[in-house]
Amino acid sequence: MAVNLKTALGPLELDHPVINASGTFDVLEADTVLEEDLFARFPFAAYVPKTVTLAPRAGNAPPRLYETSAGLLNSIGLANRGIEAFIRDDLPRLALLPVPVIASVAGEATEDYGVCAAMLDGRDELAAIELNVSCPNVELHGRALGLDPAGTHRAVSLARESTSKFLIVKLTPNVTDIVEVAAAAVDAGADCVSLINTVHGMVLDPWSLKPVLGNVTGGLSGPAIKPVALRAVFLVSQAVTAPVIGMGGVTTAQDALEFLAAGASAVAMGTASFRDPLAVTGVVAGLAELMEERGIGSVAGLSGAAH
Amino acid sequence: MDAGLIPAKLFECQVAESRPVGAYRQLALVAPEIAYLAHPGQFLMARLAGPALDPLLPRPMCVHDIDSDLVKLLIDPVGKGTAALAEAEVGDRLSVLGPLGRGFDMEGEGPAVVVGGGIGVSPLLLLTRALLQRGREVRCVLGFRNRSQAVAAGLFPGAAIDLLTEDGSAGRTGLVSEPLPGCLVREEGNPAPEIFACGPDAMLKAVARIAADCGVRAQVSMDTHMACGIGSCQGCVIPGPEAYRKTCIEGPVFDTRDLKWQ
Repeated sequence: MAVNLKTALGPLELDHPVINASGTFDVLEADTVLEEDLFARFPFAAYVPKTVTLAPRAGNAPPRLYETSAGLLNSIGLANRGIEAFIRDDLPRLALLPVPVIASVAGEATEDYGVCAAMLDGRDELAAIELNVSCPNVELHGRALGLDPAGTHRAVSLARESTSKFLIVKLTPNVTDIVEVAAAAVDAGADCVSLINTVHGMVLDPWSLKPVLGNVTGGLSGPAIKPVALRAVFLVSQAVTAPVIGMGGVTTAQDALEFLAAGASAVAMGTASFRDPLAVTGVVAGLAELMEERGIGSVAGLSGAAH
Repeated sequence: MDAGLIPAKLFECQVAESRPVGAYRQLALVAPEIAYLAHPGQFLMARLAGPALDPLLPRPMCVHDIDSDLVKLLIDPVGKGTAALAEAEVGDRLSVLGPLGRGFDMEGEGPAVVVGGGIGVSPLLLLTRALLQRGREVRCVLGFRNRSQAVAAGLFPGAAIDLLTEDGSAGRTGLVSEPLPGCLVREEGNPAPEIFACGPDAMLKAVARIAADCGVRAQVSMDTHMACGIGSCQGCVIPGPEAYRKTCIEGPVFDTRDLKWQ
């Protein structure tokens, strides 16, 4: 039986269901460092660059990383050169990728979501915009907008008014009810939701017993958070009509299979690409095998099988 | 050859040898391409091959030495990732991405003063061999916590070695920063000495200060936690004079003047 790995997120047609999570694969750097010609053979079905903000951000004080049990705690702090540099320097190069490009933006103030969406609206290089509502927001004294449905609704509404691009909203799991936040995003005009972002966490230095990270706390990713993410995808995909991109610990083909079964239309790999920058290739090939073994001919036939 | 423009590849390498070097463990991997390409000061991202997810990520490991087709690593088992690597047995396979990063610039002509602290001596062995091969005068100042670590000083070939330990159990008692200024005196008519260093942050900070005071160039190899090693995660940054610098792709070897020393 031939397995059809093609999937779609609204108007975005993907050759297979595995994309990258924002901030975990820098194709412009990786293409220089790795022997692989990533512009000729790009392994992900779409490319999401690192989140950009209106103004450049230096990011948080190091140390920014610490490995936990089957997980990674980070506090990068959305280090980026700002949306203008992204549009000027990166977009023309990213346009050469053979897959759809999805810009990721975050606001330090709620209005930024509208401003950034407007700046990207006319860019033909972009197939979609992902709103990262998990950024610590200055108006909210360092809390993320995405921590409540009303904040999410405001940010998404502003972006929706400013662009006709396919709009994805990336949700944080650090909430009482992620379904409520997802519903608010869709109500405000989101075309798609991606989940989950990292889970709040911290680590102490075993000897000094002080926080290891320069920013004291961070976000946990990797296989350790997979069950948290799987549950969120399972619940949200049943509650909203918009397609879901599932992520959080996707490392193996079996993980991808399970996120799709839980209701995702596509999945994203993040920390797994740090472990092996080309792990995606094995996951895509393995996914086709696992589907074939189970007699599942298409991603559409798999998505939501767990419901 | 520019030390940073060699494309890196992912390899699965067999462990050919494993032997203790005092407190450390030296692994030799069968890695002919890396052995051919790697430049002193470059590094690899290494983990045990296979599906086990804890430890999850590879660890940045300096290229410690090269012997025909073998690439050697020197490991200080300080955490679970390094401990897992140190326990690898002959015949085990490691997943290795490399060679990565920018290595030491060896184009200078002055006497080389190679300064190592603890496990920081790892990249300095290959460097010392390369400098000697280029006909450079090399003096090594190597400091360790104790005699068990100081066994690694015995790996260094054909160079004058000043050995120090903090507890006085081998060599002189003290820190490498104490004899260092005396090694930097410029001889009449000769090019200025140059420092190559790797070790704990406090040592490198002292090296940067001494280099500035003595008016000599110093290159230092920085050790930070890394997730990817290829510029994606932005986790390994250290402060530069104006902006954070990525240790993985802008380093790990930096001129001390290109970093900010608080």
